[in-house]
Amino acid sequence: MNPGVLSAGSRGLGLAEQARMVVQPGRPEAATPTPVRAARPQARRGLVARWLDWRFSSWTSPLLVLAMWIAVTQLALAPEQILVPPWQVLVSGWELVQSGELGEHVSVSLVRLVSGFGFGSVAGIAFGLLVGLSPRLDDYTAPTFQVLRQIPSVALIPLFILIFGIGETFKVAIVAKASFFVVALAVHEAVKSLPARYLEVAAVLRFSRLQVIRRVVLPAIVPDTLTGVRIALGRSWMVLVGAELLAAENGLGQMMEMGRQMFRLDVVMVGVVLTGLVGLALDRGFRLLEAYLMRWQRR
Amino acid sequence: MTSVPPYSPQRRLALSAALLPALLSITGVRAAEPLPPALRIAAVSRTGPSGKTLFAGSSALVAEQGWLAAELGKLGVKLEWVPVTTNSVAVQVNEAFANRSIDFAQYGDLPSIIANASGLRTQLVVPGGSMNNTYLVVPANSNARSIKDLKGKKIALHRGRPWEFPFARLLAANGMTQKDVRILNLNPQAGASAVASGSADAFFTLSDAFLLEDKKVGKIIWSSKQAPQDWKMRAELWGDSAFLEKHPQLAQLVATAYVKAHQSVVGANGRENYIRHEVAAGQSRALVEREWEGDATNWNARWAPLFTPELRAHYAAGAAYAQQARLIGRPLDTSRLYAPQFVEQALAQLKLQNLWASR
Repeated sequence: MNPGVLSAGSRGLGLAEQARMVVQPGRPEAATPTPVRAARPQARRGLVARWLDWRFSSWTSPLLVLAMWIAVTQLALAPEQILVPPWQVLVSGWELVQSGELGEHVSVSLVRLVSGFGFGSVAGIAFGLLVGLSPRLDDYTAPTFQVLRQIPSVALIPLFILIFGIGETFKVAIVAKASFFVVALAVHEAVKSLPARYLEVAAVLRFSRLQVIRRVVLPAIVPDTLTGVRIALGRSWMVLVGAELLAAENGLGQMMEMGRQMFRLDVVMVGVVLTGLVGLALDRGFRLLEAYLMRWQRR
Repeated sequence: MTSVPPYSPQRRLALSAALLPALLSITGVRAAEPLPPALRIAAVSRTGPSGKTLFAGSSALVAEQGWLAAELGKLGVKLEWVPVTTNSVAVQVNEAFANRSIDFAQYGDLPSIIANASGLRTQLVVPGGSMNNTYLVVPANSNARSIKDLKGKKIALHRGRPWEFPFARLLAANGMTQKDVRILNLNPQAGASAVASGSADAFFTLSDAFLLEDKKVGKIIWSSKQAPQDWKMRAELWGDSAFLEKHPQLAQLVATAYVKAHQSVVGANGRENYIRHEVAAGQSRALVEREWEGDATNWNARWAPLFTPELRAHYAAGAAYAQQARLIGRPLDTSRLYAPQFVEQALAQLKLQNLWASR
């Protein structure tokens, strides 16, 4: 669906910084009023404050986690078969890349994510719009919607296997389910909280119903919808990896499950790290897209 | 008592009498490690009808005989049974061995090979006692009659479990490899529902195959009953090598207890008694009997706790398969996997050298 998301994501971690720059352009250098704290003389500022102002300070927690990981493996606090040292994970990861296995697993997972998420979010936007615009439809569907929304997607995996079998359909369906409810809810709320004066203006201008939707509603709900879609993307990724752990021939989750069965916890760790990085990249990539789509707001 | 002054000769005598054995024992046992507070054995368990955890196989007999618990008790060591569920015995036991939360486990051949290839050190202590056959099940309405009809089809198999090796042999005997079928890595429960719902074309598993047949959702088209003996999966008693080295006297007690259990099973009423245990642990009697019906192997031989050349060949072939199937990354020297000294000692102690004379 969205090649921009993937390629931006694959550019790596620098995205965090980049995304922030795009979302809040010019914040570091522009003439925004500097916080009082920063205005104090340099010497009076605490070490913590100066640390936090440093441009690489966002690396603090990842590096601390890494340091702890290294310390635990060096001191042999956990058996080497269970907690593999980071470089071993790197070596295993590289081996998996070279054998082409990792690429295959990741791409299969991403295809599932993209298709399921595509279906789910499009359906979610459509449903959210419908119930948002039609209070009567909302009354009819609300009880069912609210009940189904509360069921964790992971808990539905066994049921979905029974209905859809263990093939691709089931994985796409569970991802679609995970994204549908989040998106539908966000859109619904956005439409409902639309200021009444917008619609009054539209009435004064004698807009047709279609024009109201096209010119007023849709542009107004973009920010909330994008936030909902971004949250849904993260959810979908987690649910997908969980579903793959249980039943799949390939994919990142299955690679981890297989690694566990083969007692290769290094492979499991490769999967864990990669799942996190892919999730982060998807999120950051989506933020970039969000900033791009919302650029009109900054004018 | 009150009349005895603090440093009276009587008191000194009493004190030294009390301290002497303690001192002696400290100097005498210095070389050996202090005994652990508990000895932990992992065994497959089911939740029985009464909600109690019940163990399967020879571990149930060892637990019932009570001899091991009593002997360990004399040394101040508690016997602890660690239950593992049929769903993922292999993973649970290997992880427990790795984080040192068990000392012994009764479990399968392939998981032990995988564990040792990844750097764990375990050894086979008491062989024999595995009564499992393996089965190939297809959906009830399937036309497949043999593995050959399943070429290119989806077969559910939990990878790395002891029944994977028999499956590989079945494929090989029919001139096929794993590339000729699509393997779905599913645990036994998921595999059963996959074949029942028809989303897998076949399912390779243990005696839970009969349950599918009874529910009329599956039919068995192959079993290992008539297959050569070395096609059968093995599940036997393994010990943590470090524990065996540190506490040989405790390991000896464990080995002796299991050999005693094997002895009772092959003795009078042993078979009946064994079935009774399996039934108590939640298996149906019909299922246990069907599992053994038409099995070509001699009952006595299945319980032989002997390190035979066939056993060694089985593990060597298993390790070779594991490497070829890329279950393990490096070759494994299986000759280091055996600790036969405990069984030899037990057989001598119990005067059973001739019960299972090497065939």
